[in-house]
Amino acid sequence: MATAVVARPVARPQARARDEEVLVWPDLVFVEFISALLFTVTLFFLSAVMNAPLLDQANADVTPNPSKAPWYLLNLQELLLHMNAAMAGIIIPTVWLIILGAFPYFDRDNDGQGVWFGTEGAVKLTIVSAIIGFVGTWLLIFWDSGKIAAWLNDYFAVSGGDTFRFLENVRALQQQLPWPDWSREITYLPFNLRILDGTGTSGPTAFQNLDFPGWLVEQAIPIAVIVGLPCLMIYAMWRLGWIVTRRDALLALFSGFVASYGVLTLVGTAFRGQGQDLVFPWDLKVSEGIPGQE
Amino acid sequence: MAVETPAKPSLADKIYDKMFHNYVWKSIFRTGYPNTPRNQMLVVATNVFLHLHPTRIHRTHVKITHTYCLGGLSFFMFLGLTVTGILLMFYYVPSVERAYLDMQNITTTVQFGQLMRNMHRWMAHAMVILVFLHMMRVFYTGAYKAPREFNWVVGVILLVLTFLLSFTGYLLPWDQLAFWAITVGTNIAGSAPVLGPKTRFWLLGGFEVGPDSLIRFYTLHVIGLPLLAAIFMAVHFWRIRRDGGLARPL
Ligand code: HEM
Repeated sequence: MATAVVARPVARPQARARDEEVLVWPDLVFVEFISALLFTVTLFFLSAVMNAPLLDQANADVTPNPSKAPWYLLNLQELLLHMNAAMAGIIIPTVWLIILGAFPYFDRDNDGQGVWFGTEGAVKLTIVSAIIGFVGTWLLIFWDSGKIAAWLNDYFAVSGGDTFRFLENVRALQQQLPWPDWSREITYLPFNLRILDGTGTSGPTAFQNLDFPGWLVEQAIPIAVIVGLPCLMIYAMWRLGWIVTRRDALLALFSGFVASYGVLTLVGTAFRGQGQDLVFPWDLKVSEGIPGQE
Repeated sequence: MAVETPAKPSLADKIYDKMFHNYVWKSIFRTGYPNTPRNQMLVVATNVFLHLHPTRIHRTHVKITHTYCLGGLSFFMFLGLTVTGILLMFYYVPSVERAYLDMQNITTTVQFGQLMRNMHRWMAHAMVILVFLHMMRVFYTGAYKAPREFNWVVGVILLVLTFLLSFTGYLLPWDQLAFWAITVGTNIAGSAPVLGPKTRFWLLGGFEVGPDSLIRFYTLHVIGLPLLAAIFMAVHFWRIRRDGGLARPL
């Protein structure tokens, strides 16, 4: 009796098509050389006309307002304004990097490999999810800054009065609702987990008692938004028939991420003034330490 | 019978001959000038730097619009940062007493010091942007798929290393911008559950940014992280070759 052994398809390098190949010298080496030259010239030029910033000597007693991280971390600093610090600064970026690294292990078929937007509908998915990420992130930032409520009031004379004040921004849910006292200190552990409590007991979940409104506002809602909205978008696109393969889902996820990451970086860099208030870039004072300016 | 006599070599030919066909030149470059396919392949295969490449490559991959040279340019930035960084190291001492003065010196009295510093700064920004764009290009060309899964992971590590390299360099000028950016940045790290405060203490060598932080950041910036990055880049490039060059449609 013959036994069929079905080999699992193993990914292996593709066969070479010699007649489709060109020589690296000159075709590739020259392209590389010219792009390197172009960058060198551009950077020389940039360095000739624009000086790297050097402010006053470091002084631990004079805190600039606002103090900002380097620009590529301002996305995280922006998140920090809206939620629990550990979540914004560590958990979300770490989890995201792990998800990013896991992309190829999730999306395993070979469709659309080696060409730009190689699958059907890829461009549409990219554009639509980037727009959703862009607009959505801006809206969330506006809402949480209280600007939306303020605008509704100023321009349309729509105001929820005191009754709806709790919807102004995410903090208001904690501050404007009549939470009973016990909800701010729910004992959920009969003992104190001191080892886990490195930074003292300032957070909403000091490891013995749960400040429920604080937990809701600093952790539950942000995580629900950050996980929920992308999932909702992908689900909706799937129901619409736009997303069929795993590659499609990743296209939507990644494009949404890039857009929202861009908005967060931009807002953190150019739209946050004194006290991290939301302002227009031209209202930012140079002394406020915009990276790259003197 | 008419015999074709070869034309007398011109002066230019003679000079060319003297320059490129002499004993010394040939000891350095074993192949002749790469003007025949054979020499063109040999020059790539026998030169240690060019040998990062294969000798032939699929024609779609030399199109600028396929890679926009983004990976190569990231690497080029890394090299440029190494060169300008070494020059800056000549003048910079990572101590709280000297760091800021050294920066002032570099920008005022050192010949081309300001230029070197500017180049180093702008290249660092450029590298962060280029690496991110390179990741986008790889994603949108679906080039992370089998058999390149692991190289994508190596790439993610390189992305993190690039951020860390830039971040550790940010403290070195020891001005207000540097000091407070690192304070904010390490506070973010310190907020991590369980390990945060320890990590922060380990990074800073204390509870706040001070002399010990400066020397730690300096050491990481000039040797620790570049070494790691170089190792991962070596793996990255090796894997590109092992995985059969750049991705193309099946
Ligand atoms: C210091 C950072 C990096 C350097 C110097 C670098 C360098 C390169 C170079 C020179 C290539 C050849 C093709 C090209 O230029 O596009 C390449 C390809 C590749 N890179 Fe990177 N890279 C870096 C970071 C990354 C990152 C962040 C990722 C992804 C997360 C990544 C994933 C890949 C993959 C999967 C390929 C193969 C692409 C293909 O087959 O078409 N690399 N890299």
